[in-house]
Amino acid sequence: MSFESFLFVLTGGVVLGALYALMAAGLAVVWTTLGIFNFSHGAFVALGAYIGWQVGNVDGFALGHVLGLSATVLGMFALGILFQQMFIRPFERKENIVAATVITTLAGATVLQNGMLLIWGPRSKQISGIGEGSLNIGPLAFSWNEVALIVLVAFILGAVGWFLSRTRTGRSMRAVSQNRQAAELMGLNVPLLYALAFGLSAAMAGVAGYFVGSVRFINPTMGADPLMKALIVVIFGGIARFTSPIYAALIVGLVESFTTFYLGLYWAPAVLFAMMMIVLTIKPAGLFGTHQRTL
Amino acid sequence: MSAPLLEVRGLSGGYDPIQIFSQIDLTLSAGESIGFFGPNGHGKSTLMKTISGVLAPWTGEIVLEGQRLNRAGERGSRRWRNFNYDVVTRRRMDPKKVARAGLIHVPEGSLLFPEMTVAETMDVAPVAAAGRGKSADRLAQVHDLFPRLRERLDSKIRYLSGGERQMVAIACGLLGDPKLMILDEPTLGLSPKLRIELCQAIASIKAAGVPLILIDQDVNFLTELIDRLYLFDHGRISGVLEKADIPSHEKLMAMLFGEPAA
Ligand SMILES: Nc1ncnc2c1ncn2[C@@H]1O[C@H](COP(=O)(O)OP(=O)(O)OP(=O)(O)O)[C@@H](O)[C@H]1O
Ligand SMILES: [Mg+2]
Repeated sequence: MSFESFLFVLTGGVVLGALYALMAAGLAVVWTTLGIFNFSHGAFVALGAYIGWQVGNVDGFALGHVLGLSATVLGMFALGILFQQMFIRPFERKENIVAATVITTLAGATVLQNGMLLIWGPRSKQISGIGEGSLNIGPLAFSWNEVALIVLVAFILGAVGWFLSRTRTGRSMRAVSQNRQAAELMGLNVPLLYALAFGLSAAMAGVAGYFVGSVRFINPTMGADPLMKALIVVIFGGIARFTSPIYAALIVGLVESFTTFYLGLYWAPAVLFAMMMIVLTIKPAGLFGTHQRTL
Repeated sequence: MSAPLLEVRGLSGGYDPIQIFSQIDLTLSAGESIGFFGPNGHGKSTLMKTISGVLAPWTGEIVLEGQRLNRAGERGSRRWRNFNYDVVTRRRMDPKKVARAGLIHVPEGSLLFPEMTVAETMDVAPVAAAGRGKSADRLAQVHDLFPRLRERLDSKIRYLSGGERQMVAIACGLLGDPKLMILDEPTLGLSPKLRIELCQAIASIKAAGVPLILIDQDVNFLTELIDRLYLFDHGRISGVLEKADIPSHEKLMAMLFGEPAA
């Protein structure tokens, strides 16, 4: 095992980790506020990639990365809210909301995937990377696309964390997630805050999609694999704190990267699941978890 | 004659399908405070949750300063209740609207937001006062009332003692700039010393011009603060005592539940 290949795998793992962190944090925002698991998060990733491709890429409207990424964020925020109103809102005050939304978000994912197939056709697309060449930090080499991803993910997670802990709207969102009844009695607009949380989560998925679309191919089911990894991150890391998926995501990204390189591609899920089972046996609430479900 | 502060007519409700209380009528004129007294588990808290909209009323109406708080009509048949598509059929009563109208309910034993700090919680609370707010005055009032909260501003709610948590809950109610405040057993489970402290705070809230609906198990404490006492059992108001007619706690207990065993 040469040192060069080790470093190559290491950077790959960090990049994957950043991607998974973004997805897991998006899942966590919805899980902690609405108390449901959103199975269409993977479809949101694909949709975000398609929107970004359509607006930004030369084969689409050719408006460049900045507008492409902006369109992804705004479009996914709006579509996320629309999705929530259609597939989740009707069940919000029901006791069986968890079971019902497993079905409806899965159904919603199918609707979205087939919608994307209708609009953009079956041929895979790709978003051209942001910038050419690479940044060398000592012996580590990151392409500018990867640098953009890591910087942007760090910025987004920092901004979302700041929003949740420093602004009144963000604090209200946490309040609703921790005690819905007390929040209502304080006059908080719970349906609005739920919609905001969902929109935020969808926008985060969209950004993840934009970058997945620049390193892999865009197709309607491209989100399935990252969604599964993000799910592992969420279960593995616990989501007691908004930051706990970040560490877990890095671990998952690195493990995946190293097993893929040294054992082969098909070993990665097996190793990840084995790792998850061992962690859950020892610490049922996840690596960094406690038994709360709060932002 | 001005409209009464709060008017409740023919209210009934409960936890579907179990009815807990029925045909409740009460009227509070401006500036009046009232108390509720009755055995455990007979539906006082359920009634208050219905007045503040946490539970949907089954029948009746709730009017605050002439503004109807619940939507007209009986609750739907069972079939329609199962079909309550929230977007199509709006909720029959919205607690957010009630709080923003100025009727603020501090529920019994609320855990508030366990993972948030006192400061964060008190930052969110003035939302209820939106449009009415003199939040700055209220914040000063809160700091006067509960000096010990100032040292705890950065503690998470879940690390607070029961008494401190109750103080935060009442403080948050005040920050919502209430026209009428419902306090449901605010002194439940507190040590005698803390209880006295909290009772004094509640008395000064009342003195500062906030009318109260107060539920407590100590009639003597209630009597100091209220103009009228409602006796409540089996989901009904079984008697109303004007302030002058309220006997001492011991006498009332004897009256209601017979002589204590010697
Ligand atoms: N969430 C609930 N679901 C179903 N029934 C409930 C629920 N909460 C309370 N009850 C029932 O409703 C009845 C009235 O309860 P409530 O809390 O209103 O009584 P209370 O008069 O406030 O009593 P206390 O003096 O102990 O506070 C009780 O019999 C209780 O078992
Ligand atoms: Mg009670």
